[in-house]
Amino acid sequence: MELILIFLSAALVNNFVLAYFLGICPFIGVSNKLSSAFPMGLATTFVMVLTAIVTWLIYHLILVPYHVEYLEYVSFILVVAALVQFVEMVIKKVSQPLYRALGIFLPLITTNCAILGLALFIVLKDYSFVESLFFGVGAGTGFTLAISIMAGIREELDLADIPKSFRGAPITLIVAGLLALAFMGFAGMITV
Amino acid sequence: MKTIVAMLVTLSLIGVVSGGGLAMLSSWADPLIAANKKADTERAIFLVQPSAKSYEKVEKVAFELYRVFDETKNPLGYALPWEGNGFQGKVRMMVGVSADLNTITAIEVLDQVETPGLGTKVTEEPFRKQFQGLVAVPQVDWVKGVPPTKENEIQTITGATISSKAIVGIVNDGLAHLRKDMAQGGAQ
Amino acid sequence: MKKQVSLSKEYAKGLWDQNPVFKQVLGMCPTLAVTVSAMNGIAMALATTFVLVFSSFIISLIRKLIPSQVRIASYIVIIATFVTIVDLVMRAQFPDLSKALGPYIPLIVVNCVILGRQEAFAAKNNPLRSVLDALGMGTGFMLALASLGGIREIIGSRTLLGMQVLPDAFEPWLVMILPAGAFLTLGLMMGFLNSLVERRKRRDEAAVLAQHMRTPAAAMLEGQEG
Repeated sequence: MELILIFLSAALVNNFVLAYFLGICPFIGVSNKLSSAFPMGLATTFVMVLTAIVTWLIYHLILVPYHVEYLEYVSFILVVAALVQFVEMVIKKVSQPLYRALGIFLPLITTNCAILGLALFIVLKDYSFVESLFFGVGAGTGFTLAISIMAGIREELDLADIPKSFRGAPITLIVAGLLALAFMGFAGMITV
Repeated sequence: MKTIVAMLVTLSLIGVVSGGGLAMLSSWADPLIAANKKADTERAIFLVQPSAKSYEKVEKVAFELYRVFDETKNPLGYALPWEGNGFQGKVRMMVGVSADLNTITAIEVLDQVETPGLGTKVTEEPFRKQFQGLVAVPQVDWVKGVPPTKENEIQTITGATISSKAIVGIVNDGLAHLRKDMAQGGAQ
Repeated sequence: MKKQVSLSKEYAKGLWDQNPVFKQVLGMCPTLAVTVSAMNGIAMALATTFVLVFSSFIISLIRKLIPSQVRIASYIVIIATFVTIVDLVMRAQFPDLSKALGPYIPLIVVNCVILGRQEAFAAKNNPLRSVLDALGMGTGFMLALASLGGIREIIGSRTLLGMQVLPDAFEPWLVMILPAGAFLTLGLMMGFLNSLVERRKRRDEAAVLAQHMRTPAAAMLEGQEG
């Protein structure tokens, strides 16, 4: 039960994009078409789950036993960068169609603060291994959900008559604000 | 081959310099950070036990607990850090309670992520004041919309009912654990 | 060899022309997350500027020694080191501020402004210019964060830098200090600034037109704008 709550909380109530402002760069950059936003969400979710596993292991099996917690940021960011590179290589080898679908998004993921944010939150909230896993899946789902909804709205926005100076980033931010308001409706439904 | 060596050498050099520098800095910062944490706890203890003059950590219990004393070293009661679920996330608080565990001296919210302006009102004076001298047996109760009539009741905040109830819940939960431990003679 | 611009311009371009937040739309996470008050915004910008200036200086110093294949990895390690320094110092000396900024201090590591400046500037320029560029970007970042934080603080909690500026009769707009308020305020600010720029550009164009060929249309435009 606790695990399902962690998942739902990360996906809806404390949505990474709309409540913690993590992963805003791709959220604004890659959200103009649903056909690219959804794969981006999937790729991010995939990397998030891997990151949750690997950083949990590194923190609890290396950093804590040897009392080098101050290397947390340095090691986490290196892990994320290496992981993204590794995933890119594996996908390229294993499945060409998948690589064509996700390939161009993978390098972008390294500088996605949602990934590093996830690793830091796992340490901060002192999650167990299984909890971290659920947290990672939940955060990824939340990101996919937010970026897909955003892309759907922006496809409609293309047809709207927006003042010239508000086109692009400004209107995207305003729509994100309204989305954040809508997501607030989930608060209080689930508490973790 | 040459570039690979150069790559490895550069990366390891940067790694060693950065690791070494951070190790030195952390040996300076760690004691200070620990001291800050201790000062925070200490401040919270004296906030929830205003008449206390000194305190000590109770070692025999499974959770964090502090016993507080007056100037002649008579035990006054306890300060109990406890946490639970609020409206949007974890709420961490410090509960002050008399030695017989029947009366609350005061409460203090240490960490919370409640809705700013609504849920955060539970951290403010008017709400917290209701807990000063509140009777905590059999447990703390809440009423909504009307002033409390019994001496173990508090009134929830309009617009922050869930947060108010959460605070009551955390207080009751913490005290229940403390009482159970006392009954087994753990905290004596 | 690209044309060298003056040192003062190297600094000033970050303030407005290439403002990291308003113009380049970079570093959005901290911009939106910590700006519930002007003080938080300023503190965050100071921490970011510190990391930016020192990373730029170091990377510019050793730029010729780093093999290009591992440059990004090297940059990241250097940036993460300085972020850890900031984090440790803040937790040791300014615990309250560190609590307010929470996990957003470590997230400076992935602030795209910093990595972006290393790749786009420090890797190609000498230390003096890199530091000036970093200071300029940092100042621009601070302008953005302080103004956003200031607006949200005034309307959201009636205060500025902790002092009450609006009367009690003004009911604070809670939405401003909620996440949604961050998105809305920044979106409106960017749109408003864009429209100012548009208007000035049009006026400049009209002025140029009017000077060079005194056509009736241009004269009319000039009259309108004047």
